[in-house]
Amino acid sequence: MIEAKGVTLKYHDGTLALKNIDLQVKPGELVFITGPSGSGKTSLLKLFMGMEYPTSGSLNVMGQPIIPSKIGKIRKIRRKIGPVFQEFKLIAGRTAMENVIMSMRFLGISSRQRKENARNALIRVGLEHKILSLVENLSWGEAQRVAIARAVARKPSLILADEPTGNLDHDNALHILELLTSFQDNNTAVIITTHATHLIENQKNATFIHVSEGNIVKEDHLHK
Amino acid sequence: METSFSTHTTGANVGGVSMKNIFFNLGYFIKEAMKIIKFNLLSNIFSLLGTGLILFLLGMVLVGGSISNQLVENLKEEAEVSAYFDENMDNQECLKLVETVKDMDGVRDALLIDETDAYNKMEKVLGEEAKVLALFDENPFEAYIEIRIHLDTMDSVLEKVENLEGVNYVRDNRAVLERMQAITEGLKFLGYLVIVAVGITTLVIISHMIRQGIYNNKDQINTLRLLGAPNSFIGFPYVIIGLLLTMGGGILAIALIVLLINQGYGQVTASLSFIPLPPSEELISEMVTLLLGVSILLGILGSLFGLSSIKKNR
Repeated sequence: MIEAKGVTLKYHDGTLALKNIDLQVKPGELVFITGPSGSGKTSLLKLFMGMEYPTSGSLNVMGQPIIPSKIGKIRKIRRKIGPVFQEFKLIAGRTAMENVIMSMRFLGISSRQRKENARNALIRVGLEHKILSLVENLSWGEAQRVAIARAVARKPSLILADEPTGNLDHDNALHILELLTSFQDNNTAVIITTHATHLIENQKNATFIHVSEGNIVKEDHLHK
Repeated sequence: METSFSTHTTGANVGGVSMKNIFFNLGYFIKEAMKIIKFNLLSNIFSLLGTGLILFLLGMVLVGGSISNQLVENLKEEAEVSAYFDENMDNQECLKLVETVKDMDGVRDALLIDETDAYNKMEKVLGEEAKVLALFDENPFEAYIEIRIHLDTMDSVLEKVENLEGVNYVRDNRAVLERMQAITEGLKFLGYLVIVAVGITTLVIISHMIRQGIYNNKDQINTLRLLGAPNSFIGFPYVIIGLLLTMGGGILAIALIVLLINQGYGQVTASLSFIPLPPSEELISEMVTLLLGVSILLGILGSLFGLSSIKKNR
């Protein structure tokens, strides 16, 4: 699914975000990337999405090298990814339903099927009563769940969630984590970044990657 | 509760967007285009009006060109040579001479105009000033052969007629015709300049509006890009915007041109009836087709030009 070898990421302003990263994510795997703020967690997800390119080393996502000359193919890979951004990136002026449908419009799915997928996804995240609400009228937690619904509605091979529990209270944060991990199956890998390690300490059947100052300092595979 | 999701299928791709995607999302593209237009409504209205006025200017030049072409074509048919012959020739000899001229290549028709007919023709030409002819004691005009020819064959016909026995003097109206033709060529050149100016101005206006729309929606565009939308999917609503603006302008220009033609024809036929005009229905039909075609082409080109700013980003 994802293979990184010796990946380094240096931003244009000279900031060295990631140093010599080696990691592998298999299809259907559940991965938690933990670490303090500024450790490089979001930078890793940006690389996986093709939003940034490795300064050195090699990175393949679903068999596609993440390099500048392949931007067209990287966009195609993104259609198989369900991203849940830290800042949600919902489209203002549209309803929850419209936002979820938006992610499927260029996948060749009929209008009827898009609506069905979107409705089912919103029901699954517990927002059946907010389907026609404008996203700017939703609470933080509700907007979070719309973002999750948008990610999962198109049945992605990979879900990437960047700090999905940020700004949520303990119970809601746990609920969101449960929701995200519930989408993992043989065909769908889930990668979640979080600095709230206390929320994931009871997770089973997962890989835990701890990042600090741009390095992977620890990697545990817990499969029970 | 059981939920189901379908996996996607992809059809044949055309420029990054499959025909399926276009068909399934046509309503979305049009709605998005309307939303973007409404967001900057006043600017878009002024763009439409500006485009309409520019296309109206183009339309006026095209109408002028069409009428002057018609004029020149008509004048070409008026190309004539007047052959003055020996006044001692009798009627039989004159008619034989006329027949000889009629049989020449390039001659459309030949007619014997006697002195009385020549006098009557001049009366018609002079109109209200014809009373000056009463000053003459006798008819001052000679008989001649009026030869209608194709303008292109004037030189060869002139030479042959001049060499005919009995022909004293030949006169033609070539200078007038050549001047008319030169004016028409000048108008054509002016017309081409106007077309280029209209094209550039419209492209600039439309591409500017598109870029403004893109800037106002940059967050949405970025999100769509991160979700894997191809550039053509992101850009399609903007192509529709460009088309709507230019077609709106085109329709406005057509309305003004139709008004101009209907009003103008009435006035020209009343006061300048000798100017040959093409049939108004034909002219209107020609202008509608041309202006709509030009506006559609400029709309698409302007949009694509404006969209070129999207492609630079990830």
